[in-house]
Amino acid sequence: MRTVFLASLRTHIRRYVAAAVAVAVAVAFVLVVGVLTSGAHSGLMDGLGAPYRNADHVVSAAGWPSSELDPKAAIAFTERHGENAAATGRATLPARANGRRISETTVGPIATSEEWRWQELSSGRFPARTGEAVVDVYFALAENFAVGDRVRIGEGAAARDVQVVGLVESPSPPAQASMYVTWPQLLQWRDHLHLNAVAVRGEVGQLPEGTKAQSPEGFAAERLTYVQNRVNTLSVMLLLFVGIALFVSVLVISNTFSILFAQRLRDFALLRCIGATRRQVVRSVRREAAVVGVLASLAGTLVGVGLGYGLIALIDALTPTALMGAAELPTLWLLGGFAVGLVVTMVASWLPTRRVVRVSPLAALRADAAVDVHTATGLVRPALAAILLVTGLALLGVAMVQDSTALMVAGGGSVFAGVLLFGPVLVPRLIGITGALLGPAGRLATKNAVRDPRRTATTTASLLVGVTLTTAVLTGMATWRSSLDEQIGRDHPIDVALTSPKEPVTTDLLNRVRHTPGVEQAIPVDGAVARVAGLDKPIPVVTAPAAAHVARDGGAFARVEPGKIRIDSEAFGKNLSLRPGDRVTVRVGDRRAQLQVAVGTGWGPAGVVAPETLATLTDAPEPHAIWIRASSGADPARLGSDLDELADPVGATIENGLRTWESLDQQLGIYTWSALGLLGIAVVIALIGIANTLGLSVLERVREHAMLRALGLTRRQLRRMLATEAVLLSLVATLLGTMIGVGFAWVGYETIVKQALSDATMHVPWLSLGVVVLIASLAGLLAAVLPARRAARVTPAAGLSLD
Amino acid sequence: MTTTTQQATQETVAASARNLTKTYGQGDAQVHALRGIDLDLPRGRFTAIMGPSGSGKSTLMHCLAGLDGPSDGTVTVAGTALGSLEDDALTIFRREHIGFVFQSFNLLPMLTAGENIVLPLELGGRRIDDAARERARMLADILGVADRLGHRPAELSGGQQQRVAIARALITEPDLLFADEPTGNLDSTTSAEVLDHLRRSARELGQTVVMVTHERDAAAYTDYVVTMQDGRIV
Ligand SMILES: Nc1ncnc2c1ncn2[C@@H]1O[C@H](COP(=O)(O)OP(=O)(O)O)[C@@H](O)[C@H]1O
Ligand SMILES: [Mg+2]
Repeated sequence: MRTVFLASLRTHIRRYVAAAVAVAVAVAFVLVVGVLTSGAHSGLMDGLGAPYRNADHVVSAAGWPSSELDPKAAIAFTERHGENAAATGRATLPARANGRRISETTVGPIATSEEWRWQELSSGRFPARTGEAVVDVYFALAENFAVGDRVRIGEGAAARDVQVVGLVESPSPPAQASMYVTWPQLLQWRDHLHLNAVAVRGEVGQLPEGTKAQSPEGFAAERLTYVQNRVNTLSVMLLLFVGIALFVSVLVISNTFSILFAQRLRDFALLRCIGATRRQVVRSVRREAAVVGVLASLAGTLVGVGLGYGLIALIDALTPTALMGAAELPTLWLLGGFAVGLVVTMVASWLPTRRVVRVSPLAALRADAAVDVHTATGLVRPALAAILLVTGLALLGVAMVQDSTALMVAGGGSVFAGVLLFGPVLVPRLIGITGALLGPAGRLATKNAVRDPRRTATTTASLLVGVTLTTAVLTGMATWRSSLDEQIGRDHPIDVALTSPKEPVTTDLLNRVRHTPGVEQAIPVDGAVARVAGLDKPIPVVTAPAAAHVARDGGAFARVEPGKIRIDSEAFGKNLSLRPGDRVTVRVGDRRAQLQVAVGTGWGPAGVVAPETLATLTDAPEPHAIWIRASSGADPARLGSDLDELADPVGATIENGLRTWESLDQQLGIYTWSALGLLGIAVVIALIGIANTLGLSVLERVREHAMLRALGLTRRQLRRMLATEAVLLSLVATLLGTMIGVGFAWVGYETIVKQALSDATMHVPWLSLGVVVLIASLAGLLAAVLPARRAARVTPAAGLSLD
Repeated sequence: MTTTTQQATQETVAASARNLTKTYGQGDAQVHALRGIDLDLPRGRFTAIMGPSGSGKSTLMHCLAGLDGPSDGTVTVAGTALGSLEDDALTIFRREHIGFVFQSFNLLPMLTAGENIVLPLELGGRRIDDAARERARMLADILGVADRLGHRPAELSGGQQQRVAIARALITEPDLLFADEPTGNLDSTTSAEVLDHLRRSARELGQTVVMVTHERDAAAYTDYVVTMQDGRIV
């Protein structure tokens, strides 16, 4: 049997290549996740520990993360140790530079002594005294800072001017700030300061109340577990996608074994004829599978490790803040990935090899047993499929009623398993229907595609998995997105609101606003400055019948009943004492009105009232606000600061709601594209599977093709026939997957989204789904290229003399 | 003068080969399958190409039918020199002028017998109209497979499969019908039936038939016999 095993390995190993590639891709996926996880861990550890590397002790809040250091006590403690201590932390302060306001500035300490300094200089020099600052390079990039700029930090009496003397990189995320100044300077804003930890050299002495001292390593490890959990959660999410890819590989490789063994059934029968026992035959075949598994896993491991390190290098090069460290070779992942590849191959080959056992020696004597491999579909499969489908649908129904995610997942899995099992019956029918649309030209291709129902079903199943999930993700995200849009439209009805609490806005200002790039429309809002009881400053009381032109909620927020005043509850900060339903006196000059308070958010420090109400308060309303709708694609930060520059000289303020939209866009974009990219791996494996099935079928049909060519089928017609076959397979898989995916998304919407966002509506992104179908069909075409070329290369005479 | 000779030959000769040579491989492994064959196949007759296994019969047929290009020499079928045709033109020429019956695996397993018969028409992009269907039925009648048209090849006996193959070969009314060992897989009774059908195609339909065989009994059904030996006609 040994010679047989080696000989068949030599003869057939090339036919395993595609299947092996499928396994290798899945294994490589595992390893990439492993290396990236390991890199992220070591990067976090390096960065986190940087500020404390020369410390003997690190003092931090005893109850962290539920309690923080008391800043006063911590500052006193740090001061007491003088040169032997350095604190990490930051203050969030308003800042202005180059005549404009800078959003969200955090200021942290930078040590003057080399041993406490953990920031790395990237240009200029470190600050040596009060009045000097360094800026984080990425913050500098985002806000357009350069060495030499002057920045005013803080407000009112606490405002200080500093000069930027250098740019730095800051490797430790918990200690990171956008700017760094010397410790004495930072203490000038001590009321705003939050401290994480104090690094101490030598004796710690008396610890402040509620604090603990740890070794630097202990401290870093403590903080790491917190961040690490997030990294680990991410790894688990990634492994989910790995699982999907592995499942698809199982389908592909099991199909490969089925096809190859079917083609070799006569060889096996012959072996049995001449005295090989069943056990011998099966063992030989299993050993073949094992060799494929070992080689594929090995290749996958190597490629995965290479890719993983490559990616780390790439991430480091592109975004040095991403904190990817030098990854240790993750031994556990290496072994795990290899084992997974091997196990997947063996599992996938199990059923096909069992079929080999059943071959009777007589099969060798039948003339053309190997030609028409037509596996029958028994009754057990459809019955099992029906049970799974019915159970699954019932579970999904219950899941929707009870809003149970667990039931939804179980039901979805059951339905999907049912569909897969039902494939040999269902898929050929669908291909028949789709093929009929092609007319007689596609007849041969259609017949070829459905020749072996089980092979067809397994081939399409692998693509079905990827497409179903892709569709579900796309639809789910679109639904989520459209409901979030609605909600945010309510929370931030106005993109940017410019409010002038003292002077009315001039026509000139309005024109300049209208000409600012990124402004699509701007309307003046009429009103009068009023004193509202309970607010310490006068605010404009306005009415905006035209709000619908610019508001994202259709102007609903601006439609206020007479006798009411609607106030932006966020524009006045935490100190707002007015509550909805309160009755307040509103005075304009010597006229007054008693109004009932209503609240909302998103238009800045102005009270919105009905036109009738305003008429009782003033006879000559003047514009006190400009409400702006940004054009799509406008850069929120730039638009905000441009408008700020216009507003500032006239004492007006800016309310920028656009930022929320942008970050939402970015976040959903990141989620969607990551999910699609990760599912893409499963889809690629499935396409390799289609190419593989087609390639193996082509080998099996050489004679047939030669005969067709003899009868007058041109090369081009032959290629087109094979391409049509591949496109039919991928198209049907994609259409079916799209349908199931939309169905799943609907169930998910009913179960999860509706519960989270009560008035969400289902949104199916037909355009994106159309693109998916198109891409899948084109990919099917691509999958046919190699097999079709190989088939067309054989001359009719050569094909005919084969036997 | 030459024109009349050519016309005369065209009337009596369906295909001809001049100095046909085919060599496989190179160096030590070189095989001379055909060594300068000159041959005229008479129109409307049933010709047998005989010879022992390996003598070059199939190679000769492949070259005559335009399935393979010769190393040297020319082949003319129905007045067309095959050597001048590109692969596509050659394929279309075959589709229109030549029919085939092979030893085995003649039929596409996923098509029914009836579909197999009209396949050559379909490959030419022709609509399967009533006339075509009528002709298919007539041929099936003559060949005795009219009641099997809805069956798949796997459900037909070897003899039935070969008769369906003959019907398919005749559907385009080809100038030449080639049969390569058409009875190689059949028992003697069924062989006799198939050979009888081929002979009737020549006698009754005026079809030119060329059969490759190594069986003497089969050759007895034919009008002419060409014997080959080691790549030459003897
Ligand atoms: N594709 C090929 N490559 C190499 N040698 C071939 C090939 N086809 C046929 N031959 C050789 O050419 C000779 C004639 O073959 P063939 O025409 O098939 O003989 P026959 O049909 O009379 O049995 C044989 O020696 C055969 O081995
Ligand atoms: Mg032969």
